[in-house]
Amino acid sequence: MPLDFYWMPLSAPCRASLLTAKAVGADINLKELNLLAGEQMKPDFVAINPQHCVPTLVDGDFALWESRAISSYLASQYGKDDSLYPNDPKARANVDRLLYFDMGTLYHRFGEYVYPVMFRGGSIDEEKLTKLHEALEWLDGFLAGHKWAVGDNITVADHSLAASVSTFKAAGIDLEKHSNVSAWLARCEGEMPGYAEVNTPGAVKFGEFFKSKSG
Amino acid sequence: MAPTLYSFLMSPYSRSVLVTAQALDLELDVRTINLKQQEQLKPEYVAINPQHTVPTLVDGDLVLTESRAIVTYLASRYGRDDALYPKDVVTRAKVDGLLYFDCATLCIRWRAVVHPVMKAGVSKPSEESLENLAEALTWLDDKLQQQPGRYLAGTVQPTVADICLATWACTYEAAGFSLAQHPRLAAWLARCRDNIKGFKEVSDVGAAQYGEMFKAILKSRS
Repeated sequence: MPLDFYWMPLSAPCRASLLTAKAVGADINLKELNLLAGEQMKPDFVAINPQHCVPTLVDGDFALWESRAISSYLASQYGKDDSLYPNDPKARANVDRLLYFDMGTLYHRFGEYVYPVMFRGGSIDEEKLTKLHEALEWLDGFLAGHKWAVGDNITVADHSLAASVSTFKAAGIDLEKHSNVSAWLARCEGEMPGYAEVNTPGAVKFGEFFKSKSG
Repeated sequence: MAPTLYSFLMSPYSRSVLVTAQALDLELDVRTINLKQQEQLKPEYVAINPQHTVPTLVDGDLVLTESRAIVTYLASRYGRDDALYPKDVVTRAKVDGLLYFDCATLCIRWRAVVHPVMKAGVSKPSEESLENLAEALTWLDDKLQQQPGRYLAGTVQPTVADICLATWACTYEAAGFSLAQHPRLAAWLARCRDNIKGFKEVSDVGAAQYGEMFKAILKSRS
């Protein structure tokens, strides 16, 4: 039975979970919600998810939200092996560390920079851009010396970070000064299964939206 | 050799790790990094953790940041069983979902309540920030209503999600806020205090320190 996936293409977290779904070959029934038109507040969806956020995954009678929990769940439930989300506690801890870093620091600082401009009529704040670049520099350090986010295989950390960082690039953030990040993102663009299909269009749309507001 | 934990008792994120270690009967070599005195910016600490966040765990060649990644790691590596971090895929996903909710919803809304007071000289939390936080607490309260007597992920025993959210909740109360509008959360917090080993000794002590600090700042602004 297909899994229902409620999403919005603009949303980086949604694209992150879809990258994992693609990687494990899950049978996904895409259900697009336009958050800008308040579609997430419709009673049917709130009945599934009282927090009315996206992405939301429904697998049988189990409803799950939080994109990184969804990615870890898909990898654990449907992955043919543990390469996407290693079972070894230390390896897994490094993946989890990056998932929380992406959520709580990296993407968070991007949101602080772009959302006031996109949704609240605010203007570009150079200080917030500086903070984002600080976080990108930390990421640059984390990526040094290996091909993917954690070692030699793609993991769910790469999915989450790729969705985030590609969105930054589309919004015009200069990644060139972070050489490991640039090289890793190019690798994601070229080699990550499903990237062009499930990530690129939404990232491009996000970038266009931001640029239309930032003048 | 015991893992080393760099932590600051006042911070709920450090306390989550300290309580988890107690619950696991795991000895840690605890070293205090005083955030009030900006000790996290000292070169020797930045050399360990360039992001200079606290807590940081060092276990052999593993240097681990992000409190929620640390608690799940400790539970996986050192747990005698999987009670704190169940291996069942669906239950684990529920625990993970709660940890991410804690990280990017609850935490953010809490910071919007307290940071303007602590860092920007505002005299009291804004109504809007308090309403947003109350909304998040209602989501948790409603979840508990659907599973009476259980913990947040629907489990019979507390998990790391309960530890992380409870260390925050006792900080919230110590800072002078009330869970009266969220009675199931209040009851859940009482269950956590009674049933999580080390909770009262570690988290309530650190929360009280935070509470004193926050109340003193509020008083100075009025």
